[in-house]
Amino acid sequence: MAKKYRFIGKPAPRKDAVEIVTGHAKFVGDIKQHGLLWGKVLRSPHPHANIKNIDTSKAARLPGVRAVLTHHDVPKWKAGVPPHLPMLDSKVRFVGDAVALVAAETEEIAAEACNLIDVEYEQLPAVYDVEEAIKPDAPQLYEQFPGNILPRGLPFFGPELLQEVIMGDVDQGFQEAEIISEGTYAFENIPNPLPYEPPGAIASWDGPDTLNVWVSGQGAYLDRLSVYYTLGRKIKVNAYGGPCGGSYGSKGMSLPVVLYSAILARVTGRPVRVCLSKEEHLNTFALRLGSRIHGRVGMKKDGTITAISGDWLINTGYYSSATQGMVAVGCGEVQLALRCNNWDLRPKVICTNRCASGIVRGFGGQELKCALLPIVTEAMEKLDIDPFEFFKKNYIRPGDGYYWRDSNWYVYRGAEYSKAMDKGAEAFRWSKKWRGWLKPTSVDGSKRRGVGVGVHGNGDTGEDTSEAYVRLDPDGTATIYSSICEHGTGQRSCLCKMVAEVLQLPLEHINITDSDTRISPYEFGPAGSRGTYAIGSAAIAAAEDAKQKLFALSAHALNAKPEDLETEDGMLFIRGNPENRIQWRRGMGVDSTVLGFGRFEADFTLPNFMMTFVEVEVDTETGKVDLLRVVSATDVGQIIDPYMLENQLNGCLGSAGIDSALIEESVLDTNTGRLLTANMVDYKWRTFAELPEMQNVILETPFPSHRFGAIGIGEIATAPGPSAVLMAVSNAIGTRLHSYPITPDKVLAALGKIRGGDEK
Amino acid sequence: MKSFQHVSVPTIEGAISTLKDYKGKAKVIAGGTDILSVLKDRILPEYPQALINIKTLSGLDYIREDKDGLKIGALARLSTIADNPVVNNKYRALAKAAKTVANPQIRNMGTIGGNLAQDTRCWYYRYPHQLGGRIMCLRKGNGPCAAVKGDNRYHAIMEAKKCFAVCPSDTAVALVALEATVKIRGPQGERTVLVSAFYQPLGNDLKDNEILTEIQVPEPPASARQEYIKFALRKPVDFGIVSVAAVIKVTDGVCHESSIALGGVASAPLRATAAEQAAKGKVINETTANSAAEASVAGARPLSKNSYKVEIVKTLVKRVLLSGDSE
Amino acid sequence: MPQNKGVENDIPRIKATLPKIITESGSVIEKEFIELTVNGEAYELRIGNRHGEVDPVHTLAHTLRETLNLTGTKIGCDNGACGACTVIIDGKAVLSCLMLTVECDGKSITTIEGLADPITGALDPIQQSFVDHTAFQCGYCTPGIIMSTKALLHKNQSPTEQEVKESLSGHYCRCISHYHVIEAVMDVVERGR
Repeated sequence: MAKKYRFIGKPAPRKDAVEIVTGHAKFVGDIKQHGLLWGKVLRSPHPHANIKNIDTSKAARLPGVRAVLTHHDVPKWKAGVPPHLPMLDSKVRFVGDAVALVAAETEEIAAEACNLIDVEYEQLPAVYDVEEAIKPDAPQLYEQFPGNILPRGLPFFGPELLQEVIMGDVDQGFQEAEIISEGTYAFENIPNPLPYEPPGAIASWDGPDTLNVWVSGQGAYLDRLSVYYTLGRKIKVNAYGGPCGGSYGSKGMSLPVVLYSAILARVTGRPVRVCLSKEEHLNTFALRLGSRIHGRVGMKKDGTITAISGDWLINTGYYSSATQGMVAVGCGEVQLALRCNNWDLRPKVICTNRCASGIVRGFGGQELKCALLPIVTEAMEKLDIDPFEFFKKNYIRPGDGYYWRDSNWYVYRGAEYSKAMDKGAEAFRWSKKWRGWLKPTSVDGSKRRGVGVGVHGNGDTGEDTSEAYVRLDPDGTATIYSSICEHGTGQRSCLCKMVAEVLQLPLEHINITDSDTRISPYEFGPAGSRGTYAIGSAAIAAAEDAKQKLFALSAHALNAKPEDLETEDGMLFIRGNPENRIQWRRGMGVDSTVLGFGRFEADFTLPNFMMTFVEVEVDTETGKVDLLRVVSATDVGQIIDPYMLENQLNGCLGSAGIDSALIEESVLDTNTGRLLTANMVDYKWRTFAELPEMQNVILETPFPSHRFGAIGIGEIATAPGPSAVLMAVSNAIGTRLHSYPITPDKVLAALGKIRGGDEK
Repeated sequence: MKSFQHVSVPTIEGAISTLKDYKGKAKVIAGGTDILSVLKDRILPEYPQALINIKTLSGLDYIREDKDGLKIGALARLSTIADNPVVNNKYRALAKAAKTVANPQIRNMGTIGGNLAQDTRCWYYRYPHQLGGRIMCLRKGNGPCAAVKGDNRYHAIMEAKKCFAVCPSDTAVALVALEATVKIRGPQGERTVLVSAFYQPLGNDLKDNEILTEIQVPEPPASARQEYIKFALRKPVDFGIVSVAAVIKVTDGVCHESSIALGGVASAPLRATAAEQAAKGKVINETTANSAAEASVAGARPLSKNSYKVEIVKTLVKRVLLSGDSE
Repeated sequence: MPQNKGVENDIPRIKATLPKIITESGSVIEKEFIELTVNGEAYELRIGNRHGEVDPVHTLAHTLRETLNLTGTKIGCDNGACGACTVIIDGKAVLSCLMLTVECDGKSITTIEGLADPITGALDPIQQSFVDHTAFQCGYCTPGIIMSTKALLHKNQSPTEQEVKESLSGHYCRCISHYHVIEAVMDVVERGR
C-alpha cells in the first residue's frame, strides 16, 4: 500500500528552474569579482621529460601579466593518493602536463604570455600500456613508485581499503566448475565524462591565512577539505559552490585547477580564475580508468559461479586522484552482481604517460564490469545459459553478504530485486528477443539486430557522513543549511521536498542555503547515489529535530504536551483538532528562530540495483552500430521526484556511459603521446537527432532507509550498459567483440571483411 | 585569439587589393565557422596579420538559375541553399549534401564558398597549439605526416603520397558529381576551375590574393537520379568518414551515364570513373552495383587503420546505384 | 607573502588595432565604436582592450558575457560544435562563439536574457515549459537549447518531433535531458495549435 505524501513522489519544478531557463544561474565562469585575473597554464609538448631550463622573462615583461610561476616558484603542494603530484614539477609526465602558470589582466594576454615562455626539455621515454609499464625496464614516472605501481590505500575511506577480492578457495572452485572460461577483455578507450561546463575555480585570499575558493563541483566541503589537507592543514579554507554545469563525479576533485588559482591569487594579491578551455578539459583533466582483465571464470550448468580469478590492470594515467578508492568500490560492487564463494581478483593500479583517469560516475565499477562481464558471458555461452536468468540468479538478495570498500563484511538488508528484473525483461520483451548466444534477434538484408543485458549495483547509497541544519522562521518558512551543489541531479530540490514533507510546509516556503562551508555543517557531498538516503537522512533528521524543538517551545501556547502537537502550513495544532490552530510565531516568538540539526553516519547495507537491456542494429556492410532501444530497470524504494529520477536514468547514455561502447573514446597517439580527440567534433557524443527509444522501469518497494523508504540510483545509471551493448552487437553479428568502442572497423574485422580491427 | 587587423571590404576588387596589401599574410573571413576555429587553436605556424571580412560584399549571396544552369554566389549560406526550391528540385545532390553539414547553426552561418575552401580536419593538423604545441607537417610548411604511423582511421585511402588528410567538404562531393565549376577572382582577373580540380594534395587551388566568388552548376538531365550519401558515426555534427554523390541517368533500368564522386577518400573528392564505366550501359541491378563498387576502390591503398573505409566506399557506391532518389 | 596591488591602474595600454572599413570609393574608415542592440537595448561600445571595450578579436559570446555581463549565453567548446553559445540574429539561431563582435556592428541580438518579459518577469512559453517538464539537469545547455527552439518556433510554429530533434542536433547535453527537452518543446507546439 503506497503511502500518501503531499510532495514526495510528485513532480515539482526545480527550485532553481527559473534561474536556469532565464540564464541567470551563475556558474563559476559567470562570476565577476573586482580585479579578477585570468589564470592560464603552459602545457607540456612531451609525454615524459625533465625540465632543464625555463625562461619566463619575456612572458613576465608582457604588459598586463601579473604573475608567471614555474616549479621553482611554487610551494610543494602535492595532489594525489598518496600525495605524489606536485602542483608544478621539474618533470612532466604527459602531453598537456602543467609546466608554468600565468595570471594576467585578460585571457588573450595570459595566452600570449604562455607562448613567450621558453622551456628546455630533456625528453624521456614514455610508456602508455599497462603491461609495458610494469616491465622491469619501463620508464618510471615517479621515483617513489617503482614499477609504476601505485601503493594501496585511500585514507579518506578508512585504514583498511578493500584492494582485492580474495575469499574461499579458487582452486577448489575451478575443480567444481563444469565449464571454465578464460580470456582478456579491456575497456581502455578512456572516454571522457566531459561535463558541459569545463572545470574551473576562482581563488582569493583574506590575508595570508585564509583562502576562499569558488569551485565548479558537487559539494563545497570536498573542495574545502581537499585543499585544506593539500596545503598542510595550516590555511583556513572557505569553499563556495554554485550551480555546477555537470560533473558525473569528475569535478568531485578539481584539485589541480583549484591549486593553480590559489597560488596565482596568493602571488598577485588579486582574485584569479582558472577555467579550463574545452581542449584542456578534453586532454588534461579526467578520463575513465583504463581497465584490462586477464580473467578466469568457473561455472556450473545451473548458472552457479564456482570461482572467479584474474589480474585486473588499471591504467590511471599520470596520477591517481582517487583511483585506489575506485578500485575498492569496484571490488565491492562486483560481489553484488556475481554471487560466488571463491574469488581471487587482484587489481594493480598502474601509472602511464597519459592524461589522468579520475572519478567518473560508475566509480571503478563500470570499468571493472565492462572488462569482467564478457568473460563471465563466455562461460554462459558455453553452457547455453540465458544471461538475464543468470544475472537474476546471481544478483545479491536480502541476507547475502559482501566485503565493501572498508574491507568490512556487510549483509544486504534491502528489497529483493528480482521483481524489478522481471518487470524490466517484460518491458523489453527479453524472452521474445533473446535467441541464444551469438544469434541475432532478426536479420533484414544487411541489417542485423541483437540484444544484450547488463547489471550493476553499488553499496554507497549510504556512504560517509552528512550533516544538516534546518532553521524554522516565525513566518512559517524553513531553510536547509547544506553545502551540496546542484550539479544536475535535482538533489537540492529533493531535499526541499523531504523537509517540506516533514514540516508539512508548502514547497515554496522551503529554501536551501548557497553552498558555503562557512555557514553549513559538514557534508561529504552528493556522490555515489548517497543524496537520497545519506544527505536526505541528515536533512530529514534536522527537520524533525527542529519540529520537535518547535513543539516543545509551543506546547504552552496550546495548553498541550509537545508530543500531542502537529504542524501544517506554518500552523500548530493539537492532533485531531486542526481547526484550533496558531501560527508558528506564537510558539517560537515573533522574531526568534528554531534550529534543528541532523547527522547521518555511513551505512553500507543498502546497495542499489540497475539492469540495462539494449537492442542494437548492425549494418554489416558498413560496420555501423545503431542503438535502437534501452530499457533500464530498477527499484528505488520510493520516488522522490519522477522527472528528476527519469532524467538521471536517461543519463545512462551520456557521461562516458553506454555510448562508451559505441562512439566515445579518447584516441591516444602512442607515437607522440597526444590525445587526438581534442575537440568536440572528434570526441563523439550523442545528439538529439539519434536518440534510441528509452524506457525506465522503476519499482517502489520500500527500503529500510529513512522515513520515505527511498535510496538513490544516479551513480549507476551508466554502468551496466556498455557490456550489454558488447553482448548485443556480438549476438547480432554472430561473433564476439573484445573491446570498446565498437567502431565500424572492429565490426567489419569481426565479420572477416577486413583485417585487423578488434584486437584481443 | 591573438590580435589581427580586421578589415571589411565593400567589393571583390577591394578584397583582392586588400589581400595584396598584406602580401599573403591575410586570411579571408566569411561565415567564420572554420577560420575562427583555426585561429583560436593557432594550428598554423604563421598567424595572419589581418582578417579580410568579405561578408560586407553586397550581392554575393545569390542563388539563381539561367540557361547554363545554377549560379550560386560564394556568400550564399548553406541553410539557404538547403532550403532553396530550385536546388531541391534540380540539383538535389547539392541540397542533400548541404543539409548534412554540421548542425543547423553552422548552416545558418557558413557559406558555400567557405564550405568548399575550409581547411582539412586531419586531427594531427588540427591539434590545438595550447596543448603542448601544434603538430607540424608538410601542409603547414614542413614535417612528416604523423598519420602514416599514427591513428589514420579518418585519413586518405587513395592517391595520397605525402599528406594523407582528406577534403572535409560535403558540398564539394556533390558538386564534383554535378560537374560544377568554381569562379575565382584575383589580381589577374577571373578564372574558372572544375570543383574536381579545385583541390590539391596540400590544400586548394586558391592562390594568395584570390577569392572564390561563384559556384556554377550545369543543369543535370531532368530524368537523372541524384544522390548524396554520407557515412559518419553521427548524422549531425560529424564530417563524413566516406561520402558518395552520384548523378545517374537511367532509362528503362539501364544506366546510360553516371557521375559518381567519392568523398573522404583523398585530398579531393574523386570521380569514380572506373565505377561509372562499370555501370555504363548496364542494367542497374545487384550485379552491376557490385562490379561498380569493386571498380570504385580498385586504386585504394589503405593505411594501417582505415581499410574499413574501402568497404564503406563499396557499400555506398552500391547503395547510390541501387537506391531510388530518396528525399 | 602576497602583495596587494591596486587594480585600477593595471589594465595595460596596448593599442588596439581598430577595425578598418574600406568604402566603395576606396577610402578607409577606422571604426572606433560599434553599435549593438541586445534584447532591445542599444549599446555603443568602444573598440579597445580595456574593460568594457571590444577588441577586434573578441567573439560575440565573449562580448556578451564579459563586456555586457550577459552570462546566460554560455561558452562550451568555443569552437562551434556544442551550441551553448546560441543566440538569435535576424531570426536565426547562430553561434556567438564563431562570430566576431566587430562584424556584428548594427545587428540586433536576442539572448536568453531577452526572452522573459522585462517588466513582469513572465517567462516565455518555452521557458515555462522547460520549468514544468524539468527539461534540464545541470542546466548548462539550457539557454542555448531554448534559443534554438525559439528560432525554430519563430520559423515553424508546428514542427514535428523529428524537426525539433533536427533543429536541436547541434546542441550538446551531457546529462541526457534530451527526452524531457523534446517533451517540453512538443508541449509548447501542442499548446500553440
